[in-house]
Amino acid sequence: MALKALDIYKLLPKKNCKECGDPTCLTFAMKLAGGKADVELCPYLSDEAKSVLGATTRPPIRLVKIGVGERSFAVGEEFVFYRHEKTFYHPPGVLFRVKDTQPADEIIAVTKRVRDESFVRVGTELKFNGIAIENASGSVGKFADAVAAIEGTADLPLILISGNTDALRAALIHCGTYRPLLHAATKENVKEMCAIAKQHGCPLAIRAHGLDDLAQLAKECCAEGVQDLVMDLAPVSLGDFVTATTTIRQLAITRTAPELGYPVYLDTTLTGHEDAAIALGIVKYASVIVTSPLSSASAKAALTLCQNVYTDPQKPIQMNPGLYRIGSPGKDAPVLMTVNFSLTFFTLEGYLESTRVPCFMLIVDTEGLSVLTAVAAGKLSETLVRDAIRKFDVENEVSHRKLIIPGYASPLSGRIEEATGWKVLVGPRDAAEIGEYLHEEWK
Amino acid sequence: MGYDINFGWTGTIGNVTIGATKSEGGTRSVSYRIGGGATLPFLEKNLQANSPPLIAFELCDNPVYWSPIVRNYCGDLLDDLPEWTKTAEKTYGADIIRLYLTSTKQRNFSDLPAVGKAVETVLSSTGLPLIIEGSNEPKIDSEVFQKCGEAGQGERLLLGTAEASRYRSIAAAALAYNHSVIAQSPIDINLAKQLNILLREIGVQHDHIVIDPYTGTLGYGFEYSYSAMERIRFSALKGDADLAMPMICSAIDSLTVKEVREAEPAVQDEIAATWEFYTGIAAAVAGAEIICVRHPKTIGLLRKAFDSMKTGIAPMGGQ
Repeated sequence: MALKALDIYKLLPKKNCKECGDPTCLTFAMKLAGGKADVELCPYLSDEAKSVLGATTRPPIRLVKIGVGERSFAVGEEFVFYRHEKTFYHPPGVLFRVKDTQPADEIIAVTKRVRDESFVRVGTELKFNGIAIENASGSVGKFADAVAAIEGTADLPLILISGNTDALRAALIHCGTYRPLLHAATKENVKEMCAIAKQHGCPLAIRAHGLDDLAQLAKECCAEGVQDLVMDLAPVSLGDFVTATTTIRQLAITRTAPELGYPVYLDTTLTGHEDAAIALGIVKYASVIVTSPLSSASAKAALTLCQNVYTDPQKPIQMNPGLYRIGSPGKDAPVLMTVNFSLTFFTLEGYLESTRVPCFMLIVDTEGLSVLTAVAAGKLSETLVRDAIRKFDVENEVSHRKLIIPGYASPLSGRIEEATGWKVLVGPRDAAEIGEYLHEEWK
Repeated sequence: MGYDINFGWTGTIGNVTIGATKSEGGTRSVSYRIGGGATLPFLEKNLQANSPPLIAFELCDNPVYWSPIVRNYCGDLLDDLPEWTKTAEKTYGADIIRLYLTSTKQRNFSDLPAVGKAVETVLSSTGLPLIIEGSNEPKIDSEVFQKCGEAGQGERLLLGTAEASRYRSIAAAALAYNHSVIAQSPIDINLAKQLNILLREIGVQHDHIVIDPYTGTLGYGFEYSYSAMERIRFSALKGDADLAMPMICSAIDSLTVKEVREAEPAVQDEIAATWEFYTGIAAAVAGAEIICVRHPKTIGLLRKAFDSMKTGIAPMGGQ
């Protein structure tokens, strides 16, 4: 169970030497209690104190970094079971799987796709994270050649999938200093895999069906000095995956089973229903997700779900207030007022674009609240609308004085008319109906 | 040592019955009893409580108001409600039919007998249980729900959609003809609870309510809905009886969002189904027990996924 800062403080040397980087032992203790510092930073701790503190102060799920450089990603270091309890911090890495039996140009094409492809959603660029290369040929030389081809094409995080340690060693000649994830240590080869991981400083995947075996493997790896681990649960069905991953998350974050406190790995290509596995992996705590090179439909849906689930629920996403143009609106174009909650903005913007009616969007500052909540909380008011019309000089942009407001803001229509002197038209509640509304009501 | 998960929950999701077979006083070939869960979805050890979510196919009585994507895929079926309904059951493989009375969207709509007739048409075209999505205009709610309730008497319909500002007509029809009600609140657990209390106060029983926390589609607020569902399920399991009802998910914007609407024609069906699928399966994991879709292709995808959620099916390979 987690210790409180004061309990931790009692175990510290109380020298306030600052060697850990904190001004006092008490502030260091507070960081440890929040899982934000490592006990190893204190040079004066006894081994006994370290062992007591180590298990309770490190993050309940270890942070594991895969790859180096710009495209490297870190997973783990999560603290909650539900995203609404705080937030999920580290979105999963999604890597495309290729085999060393494929022609080199195919492997290079997939690598280039991961290197170059991106989608922009809600102002954020979404990308896939890397390449998982499987030693399907069984040949040491072929595996090394395939890895060399990938390395010659892009600096992307890699997963090297092979049970053959000679093949791994040969591949690591090409990428050994770039922190590829090695997959996988099993009961049979754990010592040898640990030796390779340790030699190259690589993270290591451990694979076993059943949490007892996984915990055992994790302990053996730690004893060998390899702690950057991810866990492949080797599920027998998607239901089995959901049960195992949920169990691990709960036991890890409550520190009931710290030996299971590592990120989860999921290879969706083995599941028989890849989209389902991807979606379940994303919502249910998978941190490294291996997929086949996805169709454009699955690619967009997967990255969008990732973005949704890993959006911080504590922060509304906001747009800058202002007057936005759809098309090239003239002096007689409609003006539609709405709030600066980004989803409201992007949803309405999408529908307005498809109506092909040039118009203005007047975005007022409701601190990122949606229309409904802003009205309920009194954040959307007639003075806010009046001030926005002035500030963004709307009266000089259009020759008319008509303002379309969202359907959910209808209780404010009278007051907005009084405050602004504009005629207020109440639009639909649902942005999807805005096209129909404009065609019928805007003359 | 054996690792097991124990949340220490005491609550259970209440049951709601949808549809009535002959022996239950209706004419449906099947009826469903949803709810009953005592932990998170797909973690139940009790197989009875582990039945997969139901897949509802949404259709309508006036296809002018329906997605052009569905029109392209289903073609003239949209103009033939009986055939569309039959196809949804026999070919698409839906568990439930959800009829939207889009005809009530017409200006000054007054053809109330047609509403009852649409419900009767769908009832006689399928043996599946029905969800009826009623009036689009508060002024005619009372008559529309009255007609729906009457037309489906004995069939244990699920009537939609009650909101905090608009629930009396639908509740009256549900009470008069023993149907259940969808209670929708805007992605907020407290408002969901409040509406359930309002419904209870006018006599709608706990086992006649299905919660709709409102589903924003993937990429357009889905995360809020996902968390609202998780919170509702969690509160119910912790023992809050006013939230211990099954949930329904209907991401009605899925076919109109930019990514789907503007997709290349060659891949539009695939994108539409994928978008509905990702939304639906994630909602199911959060606790939704009825997943509504509009693209026929989504049904097969969800069915396959739910089947492979059952432990032991669809073995997964090694390295």
